[in-house]
Amino acid sequence: MTTLRIWKHFPREDLYECYQCARCTGSCPAMEVAPAIGPRETILKCLNLGHQDVVEDERLWLCCTCNVCEDRCPQKIPISDLLVALRNSAARRGNIPARLVLAVELLAKTGRSMIVHQLDEMRAHHGLAPLPPAPIEEIRELLSKTGFREVIEF
Amino acid sequence: MKYALYLGCAIPIKYPGFEATTRLVCERLGIELVDLPFACCPPGTSMKMVHYDSWLVLAARNLCVAEEAGLDVLTLCSGCVNTLKEANTILKKQDARRRKVNRVLEDHGRHFAGTIEVTHILDVLYQDAVVEKIVRKMEREVPLRVGCHYGCHYFRPPKYMYPEELSPSESYVPVKMDHLLSIIGVEPTEYSRKFLCCGSPLGANMDQDAGYAITRQKLGHIHDRNIQALSVICPSCFEQFDMGQVVLSRKFKDNRKVPVFYLTQLIGLALGMKYRELGLDVHRVKSRKLLEEIGMA
Ligand code: SF4
Ligand code: SF4
Repeated sequence: MTTLRIWKHFPREDLYECYQCARCTGSCPAMEVAPAIGPRETILKCLNLGHQDVVEDERLWLCCTCNVCEDRCPQKIPISDLLVALRNSAARRGNIPARLVLAVELLAKTGRSMIVHQLDEMRAHHGLAPLPPAPIEEIRELLSKTGFREVIEF
Repeated sequence: MKYALYLGCAIPIKYPGFEATTRLVCERLGIELVDLPFACCPPGTSMKMVHYDSWLVLAARNLCVAEEAGLDVLTLCSGCVNTLKEANTILKKQDARRRKVNRVLEDHGRHFAGTIEVTHILDVLYQDAVVEKIVRKMEREVPLRVGCHYGCHYFRPPKYMYPEELSPSESYVPVKMDHLLSIIGVEPTEYSRKFLCCGSPLGANMDQDAGYAITRQKLGHIHDRNIQALSVICPSCFEQFDMGQVVLSRKFKDNRKVPVFYLTQLIGLALGMKYRELGLDVHRVKSRKLLEEIGMA
């Protein structure tokens, strides 16, 4: 059920415009250094095998989110939106990199995506007052209403 | 000139020196900054990838806070500007999404109306009135060969970042940082892969080594052009280059290093601010020797 929802968020027909020219994959910095799937291959798999195959593959996350692929695509396939839809779907199935889970958990718990020791001292070193606390109650209530718990417990 | 200062997370927490410098530089240039109860942007590299609806609502909340104060938002990070500008564009244009988001926000007494704009410190400094002030208040030139790195999220995807300025098939090639720095005597220097990723999100989300492999490629092109310093407008790019050079030099026994500056630190140098005042003492790749060479330390 959850896997089908993706095409509500991304018009599948857009993918038919793809030439499979690989200009996107050829420009992709992640493909050059890691065993990523690459935008061209991702689109081909979505069309031929259905996106199920893609969202179960953890290599889906090997990406810089730099959007060079979409920028250079001669057909202007909205690749950035496709990748968001696919990863959202993957996350619902529990396919999320561990580091990313920690990052969004921290955000949901503290209202910020970063944490350091001795923050006040560090800020004082630069002549700055302590950072006011984040509006964490409001953030958590908003996240409860948006259905964030479908993906992450917090 | 008055803005709501959106600090984000990385700058006030990891790099408060950028915050301090930016506040001082803005004060000298007559840019008034107002602090408001903002929260995490949240990042397009994390929250948006995991749960889009949550990303959009939290971004909308920040926009509402600025709307309530009647101020445009000034961001200091390529990631924050990406999230807040993209969310602002989407919520202004897409009625169904705006209604859905407002239904969630209204329980908290908030309502997205679409009355403000989101901008970035680079765009604010680039305005004619500010450039004139920089020229008037400049105390010295900064004669360095500098490579600019804008950070992908500052300008991509252009359909969200510059919806009114470009046709859907155009790419956006940023030039403002190069132009601005040439005003303070910098020699902006081109290099291969200038507009490609620093490697940070890949490292942060998945694979640190792969992220640094991208950084290493870029640094190779930067050294090829004898670039003396880098200028960035994003704390994540900064960390990737600054910390990255320490990690990479250990791993590959390569001692070439190029100091990294946050844009307002270079402007601050031109305005006569000092090494410690600019927070340069906490950078991993030190710039003191380089600045001494040009009589500036
Ligand atoms: S660049 Fe565009 S048209 Fe070419 S393969 Fe990639 S998505 Fe398809
Ligand atoms: S956004 Fe991801 S898939 Fe696209 S070019 Fe960048 S790293 Fe590759």
